Amino acid sequence: MNYQQPDLLEQLAGAYVLGTLQGRARARFEQLDAQSAGVRAARQRWEDRFMPLLKGLEPVTPSDRVWADIARRIRQAELPAAPAGRRRHVPWRWGLAGLAALSLLIGVSIRLLYPPLQVVAVVGQDAAHPLWNVARSADTATLTVHAVQPVQAEPRKSFELWALPRDGRAPVSLGLLPRSGSLHRTLSAAQRAALQSAGRIAVSLEPAGGSKTGSPTGPVLYVAEVSSAG
Amino acid sequence: MSLPEPDNTELEILLARCARQDPKALEELYRKVAPQLLAVLLRMLRTRDRAEDALQDVFVRIWRQAGQYEARRGRAFAWLVTIARYRAIDLQRAARRLVPLETIDEPAVPAVRPESTLTQRTLDHCLELLSGEQRQCLVLAYQQGLTQDLIAASTGHPLGTVKSWVRRALVSLKRCLES
Repeated sequence: MNYQQPDLLEQLAGAYVLGTLQGRARARFEQLDAQSAGVRAARQRWEDRFMPLLKGLEPVTPSDRVWADIARRIRQAELPAAPAGRRRHVPWRWGLAGLAALSLLIGVSIRLLYPPLQVVAVVGQDAAHPLWNVARSADTATLTVHAVQPVQAEPRKSFELWALPRDGRAPVSLGLLPRSGSLHRTLSAAQRAALQSAGRIAVSLEPAGGSKTGSPTGPVLYVAEVSSAG
Repeated sequence: MSLPEPDNTELEILLARCARQDPKALEELYRKVAPQLLAVLLRMLRTRDRAEDALQDVFVRIWRQAGQYEARRGRAFAWLVTIARYRAIDLQRAARRLVPLETIDEPAVPAVRPESTLTQRTLDHCLELLSGEQRQCLVLAYQQGLTQDLIAASTGHPLGTVKSWVRRALVSLKRCLES
């Protein structure tokens, strides 16, 4: 089979998502998928196309034993995992080089458009009571903040996020925090640099619209360590 | 889903925390999406026991694969659903002889509802343009996880015919959705 034909790739990806691609053909597609961003992109397009067919399903609450079993299984999984099986050498892989090269461009542009998120910090009273999840894109250009639950706010006040540099220099504002929902914010070069070198981030209570001085003026409500593992 | 679809940004952040092996994040994720995923699994696997066993596998898989999730804004929930669907498809394949054919219902193509999204209306519209048989094949395969030979057996059409309906339905659907 020639996977380089766009029509054939579409058929295979569509059949894979439907589940009608079976047996060895299914396994072969999965291997291709692992190797080629173009194949992955074709599969994801079909996943998105079919998603609306799941609307109208009534959610079903699982019985309590399900989470208990999952928790037990992931605790066991903390033991070192067995090394992944070596990839079998299969002849049709040779035909993939062209497709892989073609798909590289698509893959690169997808990564540029949708860089993965890295956790910066979880801000709140303690780990059990998170208020905001703070993350950034892998290229550090975008900050994403999600209010875990609607945050009670005093009238005419705003919550402002600060990067606290390790070397003790002045905090750098990363902007206001949402009281509910999520926001995405493009960071300036100065903000990116400050966040890169920050050991901690802090939240202060400021006049509506944020601090007028460029430094925290109100009480610092929360301080959180910046995750180094990113 | 009848419940609002979970906030994808929130799911992405939870997945990022799962990738760093934070079990609290997995539990939060479970509270948020397990009922939706169980609904998907139940329709494909039919019995509560099988669906709940599959749900466990799905979350263990999410825990292991969270690091492989490529953030594409707005896709986190879709990613979780596909993990569930593919798990169900694998289980169906392993035990497909156990699927009682007489329990297969006529597939209901969801009606266009006022709250339906643009993508939903577009898909509904494009499904409407397919022949009834083509549409039935896609819906049986996608929603109930039926293989082509089971679709053939349950609808009384020859396997070769079912295969060509599926093939042509995919071509037409893609053309319609992209136009």
